[in-house]
Amino acid sequence: MPRPDLQEITFSIDGREVSAPANMMLVDAAKRGDVEIPVFCYEPKLGQPVGACRMCLVEVEGIPKLQTACSTPVKDGMVVHTQTERVRDAQAAVVEFLLVNHPLDCPVCDKGGECPLQDISFGWGGGRSRFIEPKRHFQKPLELSPLVAIDRERCILCYRCVRFSQEVAEDYQLILQERGADAYVATFDGHPYVAPFSGNIVELCPVGALTSKPYRFRARPWDIENSGSICTLCPSQCNVNFTVRDERVLRVLARDNEEVDDGWLCDKGRFAYQAVHVDERVTRPMVRDGGELRPVSWERALSEAASALGRAKGRVGVVVGGQTTNEEGFLLQRLVREALDSPHVDSSPHGSPPRADLVALANPRLQATVADVEYAHTVLVLDCEPIDDAPILDLRIRKGVRRQRTKLVVATSRPSALDANAVASRRFAPGGGAEFARTLAAHISDPAGAGAPAEVRGFADALRAAGDEVVIVCSERVGAAAVALAEALGLADVGGAGILEVPAGTNARGLREVGCVPGSGPGYSEAPEGFSTPQIAEALGSGDLTAAYLLHVDPIRELPGRGAWEAALERASTVVAHAAFLTEGLRAHANVVFPAEGHPEKEGTVVHPDGRLQRVRPAIAHQGENRAEWQVLADLCSELGVETGVLTAGMAFQQLTEAVPFYAGLTLDVIGGRGARWPERAQATALPNVERAAPPAERAREVVASNGHLRLGTFRSIWAAPEVEHAPALKFLAARQRAELSPEDAERLGLRNGERVEVGANGTRVQATVALRHDVPAGTVFLEENLEGDGANLLSGEELVEVRRS
Amino acid sequence: MTEHLLFKDIDEPGLSTLDVYRRRGGYESLRKALAMEPAAVLEQLSASGLRGRGGAGFAMGKKASFLPKGSMDKYLCCNADESEPGTFKDRELMQKSPHMLIEGMIIAAYAAGINRAFVYIRGEYAEQADVLDQAVAEAEAAGYIGENILGSDLSLSLVIHRGAGAYICGEETALLDSLEGKRGNPRLKPPFPANQGLYQGPTLINNVETLATVPHIIAMGGEAYAELGTETSTGTKLVSVSGNVQRPGNYEIELGTPSREIIYGLAGGPPEGREVLLWFPGGSSSPVLTKDDLDLPYDFDTMAKAGTMLGSGAIIVVDDSNTVVDVALKVAKFYRHESCGKCSPCREGTNWTVKMIERMRSGEATPMDLDIMASVQTNIIGHCLCVLGDAMAMPIGSMVEKFRPEFEAYIEERRRSGERDLGSSDLVDPPLQVLQGAR
Amino acid sequence: MSTVPRFGHGSRVPGWDDAVDLEKDPIEVPDPATTPVPDDLRAEIKSHLAKYPDPRSAALPALAAAQRRHGWCSPEAIAQVATVMRLTPAYLSAVATFYDMFHTEPVGLHKVYVCTNISCSLNGADALYERLADAAHGDEDLHVQHFECLGACDIAPMASVDGVYVGPMELDDVPKLLDDLAAGRPPLPEKQLRRRFSADPGANSRQFEPGPQNQPIIAAGTGGTPKPPIAFGAPMPGDEDRSDQPAPVEQAPDPPEDDEERA
Repeated sequence: MPRPDLQEITFSIDGREVSAPANMMLVDAAKRGDVEIPVFCYEPKLGQPVGACRMCLVEVEGIPKLQTACSTPVKDGMVVHTQTERVRDAQAAVVEFLLVNHPLDCPVCDKGGECPLQDISFGWGGGRSRFIEPKRHFQKPLELSPLVAIDRERCILCYRCVRFSQEVAEDYQLILQERGADAYVATFDGHPYVAPFSGNIVELCPVGALTSKPYRFRARPWDIENSGSICTLCPSQCNVNFTVRDERVLRVLARDNEEVDDGWLCDKGRFAYQAVHVDERVTRPMVRDGGELRPVSWERALSEAASALGRAKGRVGVVVGGQTTNEEGFLLQRLVREALDSPHVDSSPHGSPPRADLVALANPRLQATVADVEYAHTVLVLDCEPIDDAPILDLRIRKGVRRQRTKLVVATSRPSALDANAVASRRFAPGGGAEFARTLAAHISDPAGAGAPAEVRGFADALRAAGDEVVIVCSERVGAAAVALAEALGLADVGGAGILEVPAGTNARGLREVGCVPGSGPGYSEAPEGFSTPQIAEALGSGDLTAAYLLHVDPIRELPGRGAWEAALERASTVVAHAAFLTEGLRAHANVVFPAEGHPEKEGTVVHPDGRLQRVRPAIAHQGENRAEWQVLADLCSELGVETGVLTAGMAFQQLTEAVPFYAGLTLDVIGGRGARWPERAQATALPNVERAAPPAERAREVVASNGHLRLGTFRSIWAAPEVEHAPALKFLAARQRAELSPEDAERLGLRNGERVEVGANGTRVQATVALRHDVPAGTVFLEENLEGDGANLLSGEELVEVRRS
Repeated sequence: MTEHLLFKDIDEPGLSTLDVYRRRGGYESLRKALAMEPAAVLEQLSASGLRGRGGAGFAMGKKASFLPKGSMDKYLCCNADESEPGTFKDRELMQKSPHMLIEGMIIAAYAAGINRAFVYIRGEYAEQADVLDQAVAEAEAAGYIGENILGSDLSLSLVIHRGAGAYICGEETALLDSLEGKRGNPRLKPPFPANQGLYQGPTLINNVETLATVPHIIAMGGEAYAELGTETSTGTKLVSVSGNVQRPGNYEIELGTPSREIIYGLAGGPPEGREVLLWFPGGSSSPVLTKDDLDLPYDFDTMAKAGTMLGSGAIIVVDDSNTVVDVALKVAKFYRHESCGKCSPCREGTNWTVKMIERMRSGEATPMDLDIMASVQTNIIGHCLCVLGDAMAMPIGSMVEKFRPEFEAYIEERRRSGERDLGSSDLVDPPLQVLQGAR
Repeated sequence: MSTVPRFGHGSRVPGWDDAVDLEKDPIEVPDPATTPVPDDLRAEIKSHLAKYPDPRSAALPALAAAQRRHGWCSPEAIAQVATVMRLTPAYLSAVATFYDMFHTEPVGLHKVYVCTNISCSLNGADALYERLADAAHGDEDLHVQHFECLGACDIAPMASVDGVYVGPMELDDVPKLLDDLAAGRPPLPEKQLRRRFSADPGANSRQFEPGPQNQPIIAAGTGGTPKPPIAFGAPMPGDEDRSDQPAPVEQAPDPPEDDEERA
């Protein structure tokens, strides 16, 4: 879809000739001429201007009434005045009106010092008050949610927060009640405003009406420093500013990057910083001693780890978690491949696909960017749930549908939050994403060929109806089938189209590219074949491998096949882990635990799913005895006899750019604060060419649920993360196991919403609460993954399960 | 004797039914229009000089011609949200002669190339909405609404949409939001409804009386219609006269009739022994006139020249048994209640004005407050998103300007009689309590 | 929290002092699997949805239907509309609170709106309202509310009784009106607006016979029984046992007051 045309025009403002793109709103165009026009309600990220606050009234020659600069597109030859008496009087009048009921409680207001109303009152107000009636007084602050407090006295009804809820997040939970002077921001019937993006309203509020409960009264603007970095809690990799006071993170704000996050943050990204400063965090190295993990010195931990790993030389399996940086991943694969002589390293929870598939997925001609999602003719969401897997993408998809009329088609096994916005939705059996993609691809390449059911044909039509620019947003489980589909759709030669793969781990793409994949070294170079993640579990269980290195991952909790992993770790003679929290698997099995850095402590680079390298920069000093993990890995290498020569994170990055040909020429300066996409650079051609084997014949999925058994599907909620469980403000959101059932199955099984049930097969049971959903396909039950205790991975491998009342 | 078009034999039994309406020649104008090219119908409307009867007085033919040509979805909305205080003409028309409106809408839709029409009728008019529903059902059954109307290319659906009690929905863009199922907040203009209105499509919005006049214009010809009234205010107009008059009601007059003839001649003037203190010539949002203005001809331009407006044609007469302050308070309270709250000058300005007048009543005001009040009205006018703020500020401003001595006398009298109901000791907060409140 | 004395001043707005209940779950579009909706209400809402190009347009008629079913726009009523319309209850609550005719607090079955705007007020509406409010005090079936201009200044002072306009009302009409309502009779039949002739002396070219057929509400061939208008909050047709009530007295309306002066 065509992006906005940016034709430059010239207009005059306060006697100055200024050039700006045609149809830019006057308030933005004025900035080009260094003229500031005050605004409250205007926020282009929220959609069309509403012109509600009337603060930005200016005089435009030829128009008798004063115009709101926020809603007046600038035209060639326009003559604008912002400093006439008429304009100044009008602006002072609006400030006076806004202050009529605004309490002047700035000394006790959390917004003080960073308050647009303070600034605008000073800059454009009349400086006196003629309002002598009693102002409105109410109880305050009140709770709007466990995260946000609301002070209705201070609210100037600028509509920003409700517009966010209604037009950006589209959760339609936050509303204005009543009308006129009685209007107030509220929710329905006293329900709290809890939604994945609710925290953004705090940042949007131009007064102190909405404040963050975790941040309230923690600091004044002059006490703090802001430090730009990346949130590494999910693959969205939103750009953030950490607000730091005395080496503690007190707040996380969005650092608007249109190419990545469009200026929004999810509540996990906004509030999980608290988990960095909790007592439960591991901040010292630990070694198992007498059956228990005990804090020890770094020297001892390093030498114990090195000697244990050294003993297992050639028989070490390494699993790398998604929050690992490129530098850490690079060093770890050197450690395991060079120092431990072991090719078994993987970074995908399900086991990485073959190297040829990975290279095909990385093909620069098939890469879609985040912005492409907004402007595509059609977006296909395939086997993933953006709101859980990469929340900020959910907002971007909605934005495209709402503003650019992008068509959305959804194909998932579990009902999607985006179904309501989609022109077509299709359900397949759990785990059937790749097969569905191949069926679709086959039908598209050969429409005359037999075999495609009518629904698939209809879906394919919906997918292609709007135009050539199709973006496929898919999970990593779809793998090479996504490439087949993209090729069938002919996306390789279409600008603004392609694949945007949402992996399970934050930096999964970077980890692949730096070589944390069996059989694939840095830059997808050829490497000795090794075990994939599930094979590592198997090999540990059978004794073929004897040591496990777990970098930022607890397989018992996070990985499929909990049973296999329990056996594996039980049998392993050595388990070395890096972790911020002692989750259950590590508590039970780890021999050495190195403290993992929290993302505000970390230094390094990560790769966004669209190929953008971004810099993670430390905002605070290391907590406790924490050390940089690249350093820990480099030290281990050296203990095991491989001198990496890495003395700084920057040196590690430099090494990896030398090892990854398509990163050549990238420096930290080039990446800068906004990131750099390698697929866009000339060096992208250095991606190796690997012959792809024919796709394995997929076996047809078992569709029939017989004998009262239900098919098992799994999903991972945005809130299923240790950071959420440990952040005091977010604890209340921590995911709890629930069994999503269709009303038909619930009726057949005699189950009611909210009832406790056991979901099980072959003697293994998961406790859950019934959650009825009308859109769950009958015959299927969905369980949550990545939970402490009752995770769905207890039942991995089971296709059919029984559900019964516990 | 005024020519009667809309109200001709308005009380004829059964006029609301298709049978009687047709017997009287109803839907003949539609046949005549359908035999013409749409452009020719538009020409007749333009030639008639018909100005919108809802309040703004914009030329109807011109408005209809603003709609882009082409085959996109276009909409016609009949504004039947008659809520301007003092206005009740559309109510009587819809109740007694619903088919006249429906016929007018079909013709207007034909002229502007529209095939979806809505009547947005205020929710309070439940009886009238029922009458319209019934009439639409009859018209549908008779083939006046539906596919290929009377064998022509015109297809039209018509839905009667009930509002739910909000004055602001009479503002055309708020009406559109409300019809879209939202809160009735006015929209920014531009874009104007003719380009982007209902469901983002080009939309023609006209008042009930305007649309009901259309069949008469087609029947008699635009130029013949333009003969009625004055040069710039053509035709007849329904005027609702109420307040302190002996015979309140709707009167069909030719525009340009002297105001005195309407207020005294038709409506009987104030009760015996009373004189006109002030009068609103076009609903409560029009700046007030005094008894010195009674001889002004009642038409759009004269009223505009007198600093007020003809508006919806609702004359409210206030006699000298009332005080101007009470009238001002009623007016201000109404607009405070009806402000949608979207833009700050209106939301805060109406609220502040009410508080100032209430303070006058409680004897706590000084003449200085009149200056503040006047200045607040000036600060509202022209600064709001829609005209509701102006709708309060203009009459209140005019009252302060024209009746300043009365206001001052009232303030003085109330100060002396000390009818205070606010405990003064509460007016100052101990600082500690403010702190507790804030934390 | 201690009460601050000044809370008593300034505008007091219901709701402004309310925090959310943190024990409640957040609520988005209700799941039909967990929010039952009465079949007749669902059917009515669906019929409204079908009338508009954008189904959201049906919000007002759908809320009105729910209010008739439940007596007021209760959270339950709103959640039911939300379930059928696939909107959040919050969205509908924002809409409902915007409009004066939606009641988001429980109210009596019969809704009496007294116009107290300028023209009615000049004719004694404030006293009428007070009298009515006093008389209805304690009667749970009655909801008396002062209302902005109802568009019937020709019969000032007036009231809308379950959607039926009556006026000009005198203070003495109050007991009669309450009796009519209590007995399930049409309110003040002789003062109903629908029976009123035009005040314009030039309008009618001849004298029309007053009679039931000139109540425009009745279509030809419907048998002459006026049905109550579909008013907000009035009982749904069929809900209340209206069929066995005596048909309204077919009584000639009062001749217009200005009958003699007619030209």
